Amino acid sequence: MGEMQIRPLTLNFGPQHPAAHGVLRLVLEMDGEVIQRADPHVGLLHRGTEKLIEQKTYLQALPYFDRLDYVSPMNQEHVWALAIESALQIEVPRRAQLIRVMFCEIGRILNHLLNLTTFAIDVGAMTPLLWGFEEREHLMEFCERASGARLHAAYFRPGGVHQDIPDGLAEDILNWCDKFPNFITDLETLLTDNRIFKQRTVDIGVLSADNALALGMSGPVIRASGLAWDLRKSNPYDAYDEMRFDIPVGKTGDCYARYLVRVEEMKQSLSIIKQAIHKMEPGPVLAQNNKITPPRRGDMKMSMESLIHHFKIYTEGFHVPASESYTAVEAPKGEFGVYLVSDGSNKPYRCKIRAPGYFFMAAVDEMSRGHMLADSVAIIGSLDVVFGEIDR
Amino acid sequence: MKTADITNSEMNISNAEEFFEASATQILANLAERVPSINRQLVYRCELNKLISVLKLMKANESLDFSQLSDLTAVDYPSRIQRFELVYQLLSVTHNRRIRIICAIDEGQIVPSATGVYKSAEWPEREVWDMYGLFFSDHPDLRRLLTDYGFEGHPLRKDFPLTGYVEVRYDDMDRRVAYQPVQLTQEYRDFDFLSPWEGDQELVHSSLNAEAENEENAKKNGGS
Amino acid sequence: MGIIPPIIDRPIPPGETQDKILNAVTDEITNKGFVIASADKLFNWARSGSLWPMTFGLACCAVEMMHSAASRYDMDRYGMLFRPSPRQSDVMIVAGTLTNKMAPALRRVYDQMPEPRWVLSMGSCANGGGYYHYSYAVVRGCDRIVPVDVYVPGCPPTAEALIYGLLQLQKKIKRTETIARR
Repeated sequence: MGEMQIRPLTLNFGPQHPAAHGVLRLVLEMDGEVIQRADPHVGLLHRGTEKLIEQKTYLQALPYFDRLDYVSPMNQEHVWALAIESALQIEVPRRAQLIRVMFCEIGRILNHLLNLTTFAIDVGAMTPLLWGFEEREHLMEFCERASGARLHAAYFRPGGVHQDIPDGLAEDILNWCDKFPNFITDLETLLTDNRIFKQRTVDIGVLSADNALALGMSGPVIRASGLAWDLRKSNPYDAYDEMRFDIPVGKTGDCYARYLVRVEEMKQSLSIIKQAIHKMEPGPVLAQNNKITPPRRGDMKMSMESLIHHFKIYTEGFHVPASESYTAVEAPKGEFGVYLVSDGSNKPYRCKIRAPGYFFMAAVDEMSRGHMLADSVAIIGSLDVVFGEIDR
Repeated sequence: MKTADITNSEMNISNAEEFFEASATQILANLAERVPSINRQLVYRCELNKLISVLKLMKANESLDFSQLSDLTAVDYPSRIQRFELVYQLLSVTHNRRIRIICAIDEGQIVPSATGVYKSAEWPEREVWDMYGLFFSDHPDLRRLLTDYGFEGHPLRKDFPLTGYVEVRYDDMDRRVAYQPVQLTQEYRDFDFLSPWEGDQELVHSSLNAEAENEENAKKNGGS
Repeated sequence: MGIIPPIIDRPIPPGETQDKILNAVTDEITNKGFVIASADKLFNWARSGSLWPMTFGLACCAVEMMHSAASRYDMDRYGMLFRPSPRQSDVMIVAGTLTNKMAPALRRVYDQMPEPRWVLSMGSCANGGGYYHYSYAVVRGCDRIVPVDVYVPGCPPTAEALIYGLLQLQKKIKRTETIARR
């Protein structure tokens, strides 16, 4: 009797699974408890964002970006604002740049808090979530005070930000910045040296730097593999070239390294927030160009011209000259880019969104091969995937 | 002394950029040609049969070293003879440069897959197949990626309607989720934003012509 | 449509009136060993006091759903515990955009939930498609797939709004009659 080839067991994981971080469906081919092949089925949250953006004016399309990676909404708006600004060649006032940088870093902390704590819950630690979400509440309060919305802010506009931050917000953020390091210390005492956490993450899902590049990785994932690549440093946008911060780099490229990189990034973000607030000076927060940015509410009461501009901007919108460009920012998850083709009308002709999580998800197959079933949960958790941006 | 150093280094940077651009154009001399773009982005156009050799060269050549394919997509231009454009975004981490390769193709033309050169092309190619119906040869696993199981059509083509053709509902009799043709209580309101002051150019011309004709006719009638 | 509970269903505030009733109940138990209550009321009390929603986050609203369960808003106070399995839960919170591809899975999960079960539609996408109403891939309202009891508006609704919606659901449950029919 020859060797018998046993057919691998096919296991369906998701789409309703608490560790799937949304609506992932994984079809796993298992040899016992070892994964032989993972086939992610994505698109369960495919909402046709790119098609819808083609039908809306540039300003109406902006809130779609909030809803892509809904864990850090403002970072997504940023890339859309930058793409339009580069096509229109408009300058952003300095105060607006600093406010944007501040909220981008708040978004980064929001993202890392959610990712690290849910990652911890996936591998068996409950407490970080309960502590971390209280900090998230503080940050969402700040977003609410600036924009009126806890989550989907629509605050970054082409030419600056929608309105100035209210009085006292900067001081409150600074106060929070003084308290937050205590939370990071607490989080690290819970996880960094935790025996169970390390057993679940060390040497799981290892990515070498070359492989990470070939797979299209970016952000904390590629940095954990030992490549110091950060778009905030390499292609500084807005006021990032004035900020002093370090890029944390991992050595091992496993799930644990990704965790460590994110914890360190939160500390760096904190320092950027402080620097941005200290550099802020009173001034305009929106470019004064009434063909692109709406007039202030006060002007509209006095000037007929402003009223007409306001009406035109919110109905017809502005026209972007025919061009094509690729703009990318360092979103919390990695390189978030927009390939924008405009044809001179008031609607984008084509808008391709390059989401970092998309490439992470594509790599799940390669990363989880040969690992145990339980490790796939750790890998997905450490990659930080959000389906809003993957499926679009 | 110090200021002089800084200006020198800045000059070096812009020189280096120009040098890089020149060397890229030189390396790609017979394969692709540079097209102008905003913000000094490097954009090259190439023909379909040279696409894979361009990508291979981009990756292998050490003075270019584009080690990452950061994105791959397509754009639909229904009015053009070659209807689609494939767009490859490449990133060189060592030189901190991006490059964009655009390749125009016809509907029905088969595109050689870039997965052999860049592993990360696998999903974007599946997406392009899904969204535009462009077929890639030698792709390891060319299935639909984002749209529904059993979806028909390619949604990002310009001739695909925004609301699609089918919608789902739960069928109480059959006890399953059923598909039915789209019925909207209110159509999508797509406004024509051409300014009424400038007017639709064709309409203006035709009405002007009509007026002129009328006048001529009136003259003729008056004359006769 | 506002939900106005009948006066008897309103909780009696602490004070003399409440003490009187509580003492009467205690006397009843000590003297007779049992109390008599309306079975319907008892069922509804038990059901509304232990609503177990299912963790079924689809999109953005899932973040607010997590916030409502986390430390600040703490849904556990109302006896609402998130359960990962449809077999153990009796409320489904449809939190986010429901797409055509997801619809059969959502219905299957709903079918797996034991009776009695309720559905809460959270956010404008689940209510009627919302911002994505005209998309080719989106179900224009999750009530096309599952029967919905409570709609919570917002994009996304805040954690407080979700809890308010769940409290409205509790009131709705308290009004239903399981045994007595009129």
